[in-house]
This record gives sequence, structure tokens and C-alpha cells, in this order.
Amino acid sequence: MTSSTNPSATATPLVIKHPIEPDAEPAVRLRDVRLTYETKQGALLEAVDPTSLTIRAGEFTALVGPSGCGKTSLLRMIAGLTPPSGGAVTIFGQTPKKAQHHKRLGLVFQEPALLAWRSVEDNVRLGLQLNPRETHSPTNVEELIEIVGLSGFERYRPAELSGGMQQRAALARALAIDPPLLLLDEPFAALDEITRELMRYELQRLWSVSHDPRDPPRSAVFVTHSVAEAVAIADRVLVMSPRPGRIIADIPITTPRPRQPEHEHSDRFINDTAIVRAALRSPTTAAVPLDAA
Amino acid sequence: MISEPIRDLDHLEPTTGRIPLAAPDVRPLLGWIVPPLIALLIAAVAIEVWVRLAEVSVWVMPRPTGVIENFFSDFGRYFNEGLKTLGVSLGGLAIGTVAATLLAAGVAHSQVLERAVLPIAIMVKVTPVVALIPLFIIWFGHGWNPKIAIAALITYFPVLINAIAGFRDVDPRMHDYFRSVDASTWEIFRHLRLPAAVPYLFASLKISVTLSLIGAVVAEFFLSGQGGLGAVIWIEQNNLRLEQVFAAVLMLTLIGVTLSTAVVVAERLFSWRLDQPVTAS
Repeated sequence: MTSSTNPSATATPLVIKHPIEPDAEPAVRLRDVRLTYETKQGALLEAVDPTSLTIRAGEFTALVGPSGCGKTSLLRMIAGLTPPSGGAVTIFGQTPKKAQHHKRLGLVFQEPALLAWRSVEDNVRLGLQLNPRETHSPTNVEELIEIVGLSGFERYRPAELSGGMQQRAALARALAIDPPLLLLDEPFAALDEITRELMRYELQRLWSVSHDPRDPPRSAVFVTHSVAEAVAIADRVLVMSPRPGRIIADIPITTPRPRQPEHEHSDRFINDTAIVRAALRSPTTAAVPLDAA
Repeated sequence: MISEPIRDLDHLEPTTGRIPLAAPDVRPLLGWIVPPLIALLIAAVAIEVWVRLAEVSVWVMPRPTGVIENFFSDFGRYFNEGLKTLGVSLGGLAIGTVAATLLAAGVAHSQVLERAVLPIAIMVKVTPVVALIPLFIIWFGHGWNPKIAIAALITYFPVLINAIAGFRDVDPRMHDYFRSVDASTWEIFRHLRLPAAVPYLFASLKISVTLSLIGAVVAEFFLSGQGGLGAVIWIEQNNLRLEQVFAAVLMLTLIGVTLSTAVVVAERLFSWRLDQPVTAS
């Protein structure tokens, strides 16, 4: 568990859990990133229009939009899993490939995607075992399992757990490598409504756990098609238009943290939700002018 | 403790919901062993009656009791020759399986290799391997080598095809996760592709294990000087000693059953270990 040089460990130690740091190296920067697919007939299909975007260190950004609008494609380009057709992506000033190498990305998918033959504990440990030279912080896996609420289930296999518990294990796995950027692709879409509502506040809590204060505050990009989910947890909601995907609104959510489920009954929440919904309904006009920090 | 019939275990999917299993229980097995044994006994009695009543010549069809008697009176011979056949069979199976698995690992990673290798693999598969035995005798001599080579050649194909399918049957999101932490190709293979392929490898072993026995026996027909049950059958049928021929076949059947059962038991123990809920630590 050696601590190697961390190129972006310039941020000051955290005092508050999640201050957005406007002066720090941005967590994500997209410059004219676009994605074009070639169909079988040879026609070019624009999946994501040229998009420029800055996500600051410590910012929790939600990406909402109708199905097939390119939210997941955008997230995959940020994660370095899909190469963009043009433009540039940087993660804390590095290429996505470098960010992968230095284990700066914590990925959570719609399905838990756990290894069926491994126990919960061994699944959570997986990220620490892979590419071990880049495993820096001695994460306490037992503690992390306790934090995500899976104490007593360490030796269980994924198939023996409920969907919600599996997704908690997937979250713990993502957090185990202590990534400064969490990328979440509709992580609660496969869960029932009650579990979903519970999990969004769990995520808010988990977002900040086990984080090395020498690293920049943890950021997150959260893809969802639930407006309520986006407004409940994000600092900022980006609305995407139907294909070709384009960010058509950038809506700040200023409700202070930590947020509670009761917040969803407040006027502020209802108002923010209405703004996001309006932006989603009128995909050609931005409800709030685009102003990428 | 058993909530599911044991036969259902064969159809469990490797990546989807596994049914947590209790330790293997032998009681339901009896239900699978006793009926065929009774059927076999009835068939043997019928043949015995037919041969005696119709006074069928011993050169055409020996009496089952004669075969059994010969099998036990000369058991040492059949056992020793059986060991030779088993050795050839297992040697071929091991070489064929390991070679096919290694090749499959390469093919699963490289489309160029797949395009280069698969057509040749299929060509060899559709060619009757028996036709190559005379060549193999020239190349490998008269010892064990040509026999093991035939057994290996006859077993590699099911393993190759299944292993390729298994190595590729990985959850794409899981693969994305491995990439997201910059896991090496070896790490992806070791922790994702290989475990995912285990059920496929067992499925192919069930086919290959009997194929290897066929390869061994056919090769022994050609190399009857080297012994083995194939050689016993070949020599004894030339002498028209059909009781000995049947006794050798009986030994082959026992070896075949043992090998197939061993694969099934190994698979079950393996999946039982995978599925066992380890609630107490």
C-alpha cells in the first residue's frame, strides 16, 4: 500500500464534507465532445452533439434526459469506455485512460454487475486487487461494508442478496478504491420505488465516505431519468435533449446539505423539479441559460 | 435438505441466479441408479433365455452368465488392460483439453487468430481421425504416443468450441468495470473470463471424456501389440472368443461410466462450493 505521487493532490484538506472547489482542477472537462455512430447502411448517426462542459471538484452533477438521448454515451466517454468521435475529455487534467490507470473513477451501473462466484466482501475487494500497483489508500473493506449496510452479509454471494443489497455492494466496490470521481449510470433504475427513494439519500451519505483528504473533494456524475432523484441529490442538473443528445439546460440546485427525505415536500424542491421538467418538455429552448461554471 | 432434484443442477446458468444448495445427498441418486440396473438385469436374463432356448452358437452370441463368469475369473487381465486404455484415454483427454483451452484463450482475445485457427480446427474435426492413425504410427512410433495423439485429437474440438464460448460469455458491464480500473488482459482473463468459462468447460468435458475413450480403443485396434482393451477385443474376436470380447467391452463400459460420473461429481462439487451459502465465518 504505497502512496505514490498524485498529480492532483493539490487541494487543501477538507474542512466541510463537500465544498465545491471552483479554483481546483475541474473533475471533468469536456471540449466539443461528440459521438457519431455509423449505421449498417453506412449512414452517420449523431448520438451526442458537440458538448462542452466543466464539472468542478466536489460537485454532484445529475444528467437527466429521455431514453436514448445519449446520457449513457456521454458518461461512457467520460469514463474512457467509449472513445469520442471528436473533442477532448479530461479527468482532473488527465486523459480518461490515465484516470482509469490511477483508479480515479468509481463506476456503478444500472445492474449491480457483481461476480457471481465471489462473496460480497471479495466483490468489494475486487477493485483493490486489480491493477494493484495503483492501490494507494489502505481502504478498510469491513468498515465500508458496514457503512453501506451489509454487515453480516460479507460471506454471502450476490445471488443470495436482494437487488438493493446487490447495488449497495456495487456502490461499496466503487468506493473501495476511493475514487475522486463517481460515475453512476442509472444505479437505482432496476430497484423498486421504495428502495429507490431510500437509496438516493444513502448515496448522498456514501458519496463522502472513506475519502482521502489529500485528494480533491469527491465529484459525481449521476445519470438518471428520474427528475425527483436528480433534484434530491444533485448540486446541478444537466438536461439533455432527445437524440442527437445535447445539454439544453444547466440548473443549479442550491438546497443545503445534508438533505433529508422531507426536503422532497418543500416548495424549493417542487420548484426545482418544475424547472427541470419544463426543460425536459421543451427540448429546443433552455429553461435556464447554459452557464458551465 | 435437498430442495431441488439433483438433475436440475446440470441446467444452472453460470452467471444468473444460482440456487443455494445443500451438501450433495446420495439418497436421490439411488432413484437414478436402481431402475436402469433392473432394466439391465431383465435384458441380460432375456438374452440368457434366448441363447439357451434357441441354442445360439457361442461364436455368435455368448451367454451373459458366461461373460460375467469370464469377467470375474480373468478380472486381473481386464483390469490391467483397462488401466492401459484408461491411461491413453486420460493422457489424450489431458493434452487435448489443455491445448484446446489455451488455444481458446487466444482465440477469445483475437479475431485474427479466430479466423486463422477455427477453419483448420473444423477441418480436422470433420476429418475422420481414425484415418490419421497409420500416419501417427509412422510419426510417433509404436508406443503410447500415437494412441494418446489420437485420443487428444478426438477430444480437443468440443473443448475448444465450448471454451471459446465460455471465455466470451462475460457480462459486458463487468468487463467495463475491469477496464475502468485499468485491469490487465491477464487480470481480466484470470478473474473474469476463466471463472465464467468453468461451466462451459465442464459441459465439454462430459462430451470429451467418452470421446477420448473411443479414440483410445480405436487406436488400440491398430496397435494391438501394445495391449489395452481395444487390443484384447481385436485379438479375441480373431480367435472367435466372444465371451472375452464381451468381458472387455463390459470393462470399457465400467471405465466409461466411471469417467463420466467423475466429471459430473467434480462439476457438482465445484458448483456446490460456488453456491454454498457461507453464512458462518
